[in-house]
Amino acid sequence: MTDHERWARDIEADLDGELTLAEQAALARHLAVCPTCAGTRASHLELRASLARASGHPRAKVMPRQVLRGRTLALLALLAALAGAGGGWLAHARWGGPGSGGLEASRATIDIR
Amino acid sequence: MRRSTFASLALAGAVLASQGPAARLSYGVRVLLRNGADTNVVGTGEVAGPMETGLRLGVHTDSTDVDMLLNTFPEPDSFTLSGDFVATRLAGASRRGLPVYEQDEYRRHRRLAWTDTVRLHPFGTPRARARRELWVELRVTTAAPGGITRPSERVDLRDSTFDLTLEAVVRPRRATVLLALVRGDANSVPLQFDLVPDGIPRTLDLAVDPARPHHFELRLTPPEPARTARERALALDADVVCLRLSEPALTSVSMLCGRLNNVARRLALPGGDTLVATFVWPAAR
Repeated sequence: MTDHERWARDIEADLDGELTLAEQAALARHLAVCPTCAGTRASHLELRASLARASGHPRAKVMPRQVLRGRTLALLALLAALAGAGGGWLAHARWGGPGSGGLEASRATIDIR
Repeated sequence: MRRSTFASLALAGAVLASQGPAARLSYGVRVLLRNGADTNVVGTGEVAGPMETGLRLGVHTDSTDVDMLLNTFPEPDSFTLSGDFVATRLAGASRRGLPVYEQDEYRRHRRLAWTDTVRLHPFGTPRARARRELWVELRVTTAAPGGITRPSERVDLRDSTFDLTLEAVVRPRRATVLLALVRGDANSVPLQFDLVPDGIPRTLDLAVDPARPHHFELRLTPPEPARTARERALALDADVVCLRLSEPALTSVSMLCGRLNNVARRLALPGGDTLVATFVWPAAR
């Protein structure tokens, strides 16, 4: 694999948002001194722009994949639990519920005083 | 005859003679409400009648109706109190905001001594730390009839937030029917009949205006059998009689039903007259 081919792979990975900050810095330094690779990057961008235009999204741009963080997930779970509890409380206040005692507890009893 | 057998027969005879078929049964009722530390009497009442008399008791609140039919089965030294209960409770509301009720039917019985006072919790045994508690105190006694044969009912309600009903349930073997014809302010001479259910039909002439007399054929009949489970449990047809009135000239047949509670019932007749009938327990013979 030549140097240009390796840099071309890095250019594609950069456009996909898959390079680390150090790799992005190395690529930027190389593009500043290598017109061939700069041209390759420009042609990659033009290709992606034309593909996006063809699919009806002229302003489309590549976004890195969203990662659902653990804390966000916990917050969403908490919000869902609170919504469920609130809904249950409202439903009980509105329509009542089975109550604390069973059917037998609500029935009449005959005791000797 | 062995001595032990003779003694048993003598004891049974003495017990039967002491209670006898002519004894009168009485249900003394007191409804009490405890609210915190205060206990108040909601209502009192008494139902009495022959030994086969049952007590139809109803305690009604805004959210719960409990109706029961209590019967006693006497034994020499004790009696069994049996109750058929029908409870209707507010269970919640529908999606459109209409109240939803649940109906519950069950039976309870307990053997008691004649001196016992029964505490009946119509809404179930309250929880240990409940602030509010309602119960019915019931005392069943027997006494010599003293010439009184007809059932009697008395209710004294002191708290209007509750409704208390007490009815004597005795199947009438005879009934006195008071009949009168009414038109505007005028009325006919009231007539009294002593009738037996399913007895021989009687004929009757009543007239407010002598120019237009009514010729009736009347007959006392038992009511239609109870249809719903609630009516059956509370024996709502047991203490009701129906008066079947037919006018042969008009080929019309009418029916008036009711308890023997001295309440006048009205029946509109063709021609503008109104027949007023009152069912009463017959006097002692």
